Amino acid sequence: MQELNERAKLLYRTVNDLGGLPREPLNLTEHPLLPWEKRCHALLESLNARGVVSMEEKRRGIEDMGQTIYAALTYYEKWAMCAANVLITKGHFTPDELAQKIAQVKRRFEEGT
Amino acid sequence: MSESHDHEHGEHAPIQTHETPGEWEVLEIAVRELAIEKGLITADDHRRLLEGIDGASPMLGARVVARAWVDEDYKKRLLADGSVAFELGIDNYDRTNLIVLENSPQVHNFVVCTLCSCYPRPILGLPPDWYKSPSYRSRAVRWPRAVLAEFGTVLPDDVSVRVHDSTADMRYLVMPMRPAGTENWSEEELAKLVTRDTMIGVTVPRLPSPPG
Repeated sequence: MQELNERAKLLYRTVNDLGGLPREPLNLTEHPLLPWEKRCHALLESLNARGVVSMEEKRRGIEDMGQTIYAALTYYEKWAMCAANVLITKGHFTPDELAQKIAQVKRRFEEGT
Repeated sequence: MSESHDHEHGEHAPIQTHETPGEWEVLEIAVRELAIEKGLITADDHRRLLEGIDGASPMLGARVVARAWVDEDYKKRLLADGSVAFELGIDNYDRTNLIVLENSPQVHNFVVCTLCSCYPRPILGLPPDWYKSPSYRSRAVRWPRAVLAEFGTVLPDDVSVRVHDSTADMRYLVMPMRPAGTENWSEEELAKLVTRDTMIGVTVPRLPSPPG
């Protein structure tokens, strides 16, 4: 097959569509989940179970982040960002509400409560 | 906490429950709290899902495989319908649709999710990091023998290797071959041979080395 130019390749593969591409050998080092990563997993499962953010919406939310973010963030960083984006997009809360909540959470940690 | 207990305070450093969290942890907490405040989920939903995650480990899958090794009728039903796996009191907390793949002297199966990280979590726990890595996802479907070799698994050329690409709707559990020399073993003993990686299909069960 004729070598595709770089821009044409973008037509054929979404950022998550990795099957069959050459990559480096495996890194078999494993890390136990951090507490927040496990909570993040349970958060998305809870949202899915309640029909708020389906598995397909989560997947789409991650695939739509674009190559730069997709490649840079860790697995659960993507999940956390996706949850925020999808819930805002679906109108469950506003960016301002999220910003206020983030400030509140940080304040709580600073005050140690 | 009651003030009346009589041991000396100051015997050990206070238990630290609040370390300064990173930005991503803050985001997780903020989104979760908003979701609960808005009534999208309940705190109990979240707690129950955490229990589901904590309760699932490869030991569950090992029980299923060991049962299939000793009970031909169970094995037939399991291969025909993967949901039979959940009969053993396993909480299918994310409603996984399971398909069980039987390895044989002619066919070796193993599992990948090229698009992301689909995995039979209720029966194996959460997937290892490498399962979610671009390296595994990319190469497993095109260079399966090379990938298996990185786990130390080298199969004879006359064994067919079948790679199964998972989706949200179809998740796979590999039933490895029962090792020779285990004819008189109990189900419990057999289950100890069945590890996570043998059920993903990247390794095969091995008998423990003789002592000494």
